[in-house]
Amino acid sequence: MSVAAVETARETEADLVASGVRKAFGGVVAVDNASITVSESRISGLIGPNGAGKSTLLSILSGFLRPDAGTVRLGELDVARRGPATAARHGLIRTFQAAAPVRSLSVGDNVLLGMHLRFTGGPLAVLLRTPTMRAQERQARGEVAALLEDIGLSDLQDVDAGRLTFGQLRFLEIARALAARPRLLLLDEPTAGLNTVESDRLTALITSISGRGVGLLVVDHNVPFLFAICDRITVMNYGSIIAEGPPSEIETDPAVREAYLGTERIVEVAQAE
Amino acid sequence: MRRLATTAHALLALYRPLIVAATIVAVVVIPIGGSRLWIYNMLNVAIFALPVIGLAVITGRAGQVSFAQTTFMAIGGYGIAIFTTRLGWNAWLGLFLSALIAAAAAVVIGLPMLRLRGHYLAMGTFALALGTTSFALAATFLTGGSIGISGVPALEIGSVSFFDQRNAYFLCWAFVALGLVVHALLYRSYVGRAWRAVALREDVAASLGVNNQWFKVLAFTIAAVMASVAGSLYVSITSYVSPDLYDAGVGVNLFVMLFIGGRATLFGPVVGAAIVTLGPQVFSGIAEWQNIIFLTILLVVILFLPNGLLGGGAPVPRLRQWLPTALPRKDVAA
Repeated sequence: MSVAAVETARETEADLVASGVRKAFGGVVAVDNASITVSESRISGLIGPNGAGKSTLLSILSGFLRPDAGTVRLGELDVARRGPATAARHGLIRTFQAAAPVRSLSVGDNVLLGMHLRFTGGPLAVLLRTPTMRAQERQARGEVAALLEDIGLSDLQDVDAGRLTFGQLRFLEIARALAARPRLLLLDEPTAGLNTVESDRLTALITSISGRGVGLLVVDHNVPFLFAICDRITVMNYGSIIAEGPPSEIETDPAVREAYLGTERIVEVAQAE
Repeated sequence: MRRLATTAHALLALYRPLIVAATIVAVVVIPIGGSRLWIYNMLNVAIFALPVIGLAVITGRAGQVSFAQTTFMAIGGYGIAIFTTRLGWNAWLGLFLSALIAAAAAVVIGLPMLRLRGHYLAMGTFALALGTTSFALAATFLTGGSIGISGVPALEIGSVSFFDQRNAYFLCWAFVALGLVVHALLYRSYVGRAWRAVALREDVAASLGVNNQWFKVLAFTIAAVMASVAGSLYVSITSYVSPDLYDAGVGVNLFVMLFIGGRATLFGPVVGAAIVTLGPQVFSGIAEWQNIIFLTILLVVILFLPNGLLGGGAPVPRLRQWLPTALPRKDVAA
């Protein structure tokens, strides 16, 4: 297959598709026969009680964990076999549950790190200061300001990332992920540790990211937040997927009520809308 | 004690540029006005500074502990000796070929070795360092065993021979300058950012498309080439190579130089190499005690400046945390 053909295949079949995925740690089955699709054109949500296997599934989807059985495909790419760095090269970027800045790097350099894949020359091109390499570095540095502006951290560009507050780190991490120009973005518990103001800003940010044509999968505990932003919701319990559909259906799904949400909670969500 | 340490930090922040400036001035002035002894001393500093700059790349930047620098110094030293004395090739050709072999060896060794992490990587590279001297002693047909190889010719450019110590001085410091430029250019580029990410968060690096293994092997290889060149330079200047030059203890010394100077700094390796090479001579009046006194001072420096003389931003350690936990403390009593 020619390079051009591969490119076309990616454009038309851009979804991330996991089917029949299973992962066990020792005797504990963390994810069992799970199938999920992350589409470029919508915001998907993944919910479930603690220990339901959400984070494990996200790690499998992003190529960090290899499933014991089942496949994870991004178009033509076998994500399970090729690993996270190759998945990133194909536009699949994830964030981490505990905000994960590279602490010795400044805020600006963290965002520049997100642009890693844009640099086409090798180390020799760096040493010879080729015009292409210098132009790429200049352009990347130019974009950092705009990205930091988006998340409201403009004035902290030169501060060590280790000095930010928890909420600021969360937004920095998303900015860094956006710097990689993802087609699909997987967010692992983005609202954890955020206050209400920050949560609202995050909602606006995620909506605007989706508006730019980036497909999202958001794993979170915050049910009202997910129901408000997601087009589709997948519910996990004990490693299995027990429901999948638009929020309105999930709200009324009896299996979901029983397994996870609890009757009162669902009523609250319904009333809020 | 804490106030004293804080004051020391404040003073160092002030004097950090001065330390760097003083080193540069010393390097420039000594060959003009210095005695033969000082030229010799500073020549040694340059020879050690080069592999320490390499160590700053692999350990300081990419975060991979390596005691293997002596292995690559040995490849450079024995390489140039064998190419020139056995095969009669030009010394420069010997230096470049040795560096090439060191690079190839770094890739071959690094690919499996750099899958190890933390203490295991330290042990693996230390084993390599120990094996290097053993190999040099055992492989008599290649290395001359414990006798070594003598009569290695000096490097020359036209009629300028680098057997002359003053010329050798300039040559070695030119290579140190080149090493600093390589380090600085890579550090400031996407390569340096990838290294720092690999050092602290391999998962984050991978999530953004960084090929961790590739960047580790790259740093390991660059460090190896710098060590090899230093090894070749030294042997061509002294015209002699033997296994004890590459004792694993030398590798530990390189580490001390890096950490004293500042593991995550550009000029730290040069300052560290100068301090560790020249420092003991300050106490040379007291003969066998000189190293003990000097190393005690180094220990105190590391205690208060964990990031090295040029490192900065170091948290001031509380003396209390160094006390045995069995001592009664207020919170325990309450």
